[in-house]
Amino acid sequence: MSDFLIKLGKNSAAREIIKKMGIPLSMPQELKRAKGPWEERPLGDMSIIAGHIGKAKLANVLADSLIESGATIYLKEEEETFQIYNEVGKSCGRFPEKLNDESGKKIKPDALVFDAMDIKTPEDLNIIYEFFHNNIRKLNICGRCIILAPSISKDLDPIKAASSRALEGFIKSLGREIGRNGSTSQIIYVEKGAEKRLDPILRFFLSPRSAYISGQAINVNAKIPVDNEFPNTRILEGKIALVTGAARGIGASTAKTLALEGAHVICMDRPAENEAAGKLVDEISGSLLLCDITDKDASRTIIDKIQNNFKGIDIIIHNAGITRDKTLAKMDSDRWNQTLNVNLNSLIRVNEELIPFIRKNGRIVCLSSVSGIAGNMGQTNYSASKAGIIGYIKILSESLIEKSITVNAVAPGFIETQMTAQIPFITREFARRFCNLSQGGLPEDIAQTLTFLSSPGAAGITGEVIRICGGNFVGA
Amino acid sequence: MSKIKKNSKKTRAVIVGGIRTPFLRSFGDFIRLDTIALGTIAVKGLLQKIPINWKEIEGLVWGGVVIPSDTPNIAREIVFDTGLPPSVDGLTVSRVCPSGLNAITIAVSAIERGDADVMIAGGSDSLSNAEVHLPNSFVHKAAPVVLNSKSTVKDYFRLLKNINFRKDIIPSRPSIRERTTGELMGESAEKMASRNNITREAQDKLAVQSHMRAAKAIETGRFAMEIVPVDTPDGKRVQTDNIVRGDTSIEKMAKLKPAFAKNGTLTAANSSALTDGASAVLIMNEEKAKSLGLEPLAAFRSWSYGAVDPNDQLLIGPAITMPKALEKAGMSLKDIDLIDIHEAFAAQVLCVLKMIENDRFAQTRVGLKKAIGEIKPESINIHGGSIALGHPFGATGGRMVITMANEMKLTGKASALLGICGAGGLSGSAVLEAV
Repeated sequence: MSDFLIKLGKNSAAREIIKKMGIPLSMPQELKRAKGPWEERPLGDMSIIAGHIGKAKLANVLADSLIESGATIYLKEEEETFQIYNEVGKSCGRFPEKLNDESGKKIKPDALVFDAMDIKTPEDLNIIYEFFHNNIRKLNICGRCIILAPSISKDLDPIKAASSRALEGFIKSLGREIGRNGSTSQIIYVEKGAEKRLDPILRFFLSPRSAYISGQAINVNAKIPVDNEFPNTRILEGKIALVTGAARGIGASTAKTLALEGAHVICMDRPAENEAAGKLVDEISGSLLLCDITDKDASRTIIDKIQNNFKGIDIIIHNAGITRDKTLAKMDSDRWNQTLNVNLNSLIRVNEELIPFIRKNGRIVCLSSVSGIAGNMGQTNYSASKAGIIGYIKILSESLIEKSITVNAVAPGFIETQMTAQIPFITREFARRFCNLSQGGLPEDIAQTLTFLSSPGAAGITGEVIRICGGNFVGA
Repeated sequence: MSKIKKNSKKTRAVIVGGIRTPFLRSFGDFIRLDTIALGTIAVKGLLQKIPINWKEIEGLVWGGVVIPSDTPNIAREIVFDTGLPPSVDGLTVSRVCPSGLNAITIAVSAIERGDADVMIAGGSDSLSNAEVHLPNSFVHKAAPVVLNSKSTVKDYFRLLKNINFRKDIIPSRPSIRERTTGELMGESAEKMASRNNITREAQDKLAVQSHMRAAKAIETGRFAMEIVPVDTPDGKRVQTDNIVRGDTSIEKMAKLKPAFAKNGTLTAANSSALTDGASAVLIMNEEKAKSLGLEPLAAFRSWSYGAVDPNDQLLIGPAITMPKALEKAGMSLKDIDLIDIHEAFAAQVLCVLKMIENDRFAQTRVGLKKAIGEIKPESINIHGGSIALGHPFGATGGRMVITMANEMKLTGKASALLGICGAGGLSGSAVLEAV
């Protein structure tokens, strides 16, 4: 299952030879990934070049977030903005550094963050071009490019909307270029009033935890009210989480990552998986729930478990899913029914019946797939189910706003699991390389994003589909 | 509204006196006096100075950082060696540099709670007698053979063959290294200095200030009331702190090389040195003191202990605990007459002062709406500090309490704010008030 080319790429002698001989072999950059639970200063040791257009509307938010997270900020000495960063830096002994021709030549930034909230016309795009054009070559491996832009909504006039939306195209292409260095780029659309929800989102997308997300547009809205401060560590303290399909792969990795943040995880899987699930439950001190989601009584079983042992449920991760690939003409009805039943019908039925038991500030996250967004040969059944999930979460999220429950989906691309190990070698190799980062993702990449979306700090994200695909070349 | 509760006490504990040994640079004249011996000297000196029936004493709480592993409860050993009745309880407190202060406030708590009426508290450390450990690998290899009565000559030969001289025999040099970060304390302080832009000049200036003021205090006999002369086992009589340099200057200090980093700003001169010494105070229930006709010097209005992440400004703690102690005392900075801050490193003190006047720091780290205010380096440590006097870890808290308590009595000043940083990110602070 391991990626031979990444291993090869780590060997400097091999790299030299392949380069010198002109062998057209891409050696993907091994990605920097996080170890352990969320840290107090996840951006510690990172240097970030910050830029802005017009009135740096997010200067205060960015200064607070990035400096407190441990980063050293480099920015041009433009009086007011620099002062804002300086005041924050003074209070934690992490002063911002002036970015000029001299310092600019020496630094190797780990991230480039641009505040484009005040963009007005397409001519303004030149400023973004200059910022990234001047700095992109310096970007360190496994670097991050983030643009913050106004949400494309009725609040904007058409010209502003055009200018803001242009940034998405920019960032997507940029992602394709920097992927070979393991670097990623995203655009974060910020709705009016959603600014104070940005801190945890910035921490996630600038940290190694978002390693396999590339070229994505993240919408941050102000639909869910927020009152308390977001915890930086032990982010799921006191939460009860349910993970379906927890015995292996993405489910198991997710259960472990949730538990590491303080959640008590109910690990659910079919009775046939009792050994693997049991071991997992032991390891993370969670609870075991042996239950097939397609059972007529599945909901009842889950509800009983919740009611008998806990006061309610906070987080539901709908991860259980199967593939039964066959091109449509050859796909028998069993393949169709099984896939739809597990991946969509049962998910919806169980979820609907669990909703009354989800506590305030709860989180529902469903596993969709790039296949559901872009389609895939032999996966009419799978894609239908995964696309159905997208429709479901988009509308369900609206109705759960008053309970402050967010509903989102993640769409993994090619992830190295038991499921994908079954794909024939050549197809698998192509699938792996078919993204900006030229490599498959790992279950932990999905787990990290699911954990983030389950946390209080993700209150600004609801009704969204986040692709975790390494910047897959298909679909948008 | 700040979430820090204000103290209210019913029984008040008062400090009726304090004594310390001279503080000497380690591996000097005190080399043959271990921490128990030094502590005993301080306590004996205390009891000679204050006329009190030894039978009244109920407990001794003692702070120490470098604790002998075969007799960890040095407080109890000091009770025995002083000749106090065996009924006197002994509790040893190890909380890095604030240990001495902690020992004192534990004794004060006991008295305020009514668990005792008369306590001795203080602390000591002898870096000269710090144990030098054989590597664990040696013990692990040797112990099964040596401690087993059935071991044969063959077993011993096999052991000798297995021992690697370099890895198993040569002792590891003790250093003040933070276990979780792997940094020497000076390296952590150097990082703090660079993060907060504390210049070499500013550090040397504070160091010179410390020396000048300590030298003056010695010269004018100000410390005479606090120090007990010591007759060492080698027959010398020591009466004076010997690290103080009244003839130092910024020019002299500027010549020194950086001690903890290439191109660093911390030097041996603007850092505190390894020191041996002890200090002790006598604390009583206020009514008891009155009934015995003893004049109290001062009382604790409040204290605050805290901890910060060693990875993020290891020694910044006092910038949090000093404002907290002030808040608990229901006072503001302008109510404070004297400020005494332990000088682990001049850089550390200056970083603390920078943070203590920063509003945002107060909001995010202390939980107060505003910073307590500006404290100029000139306004602290009127008789010098740890840089000049030395820092026998466990004894420093007591030294500061004694000097401040005496100062209030001598000058009629009403209050003092103390702050001590420590390894592991720990810190302790207190507000003393005149009685």
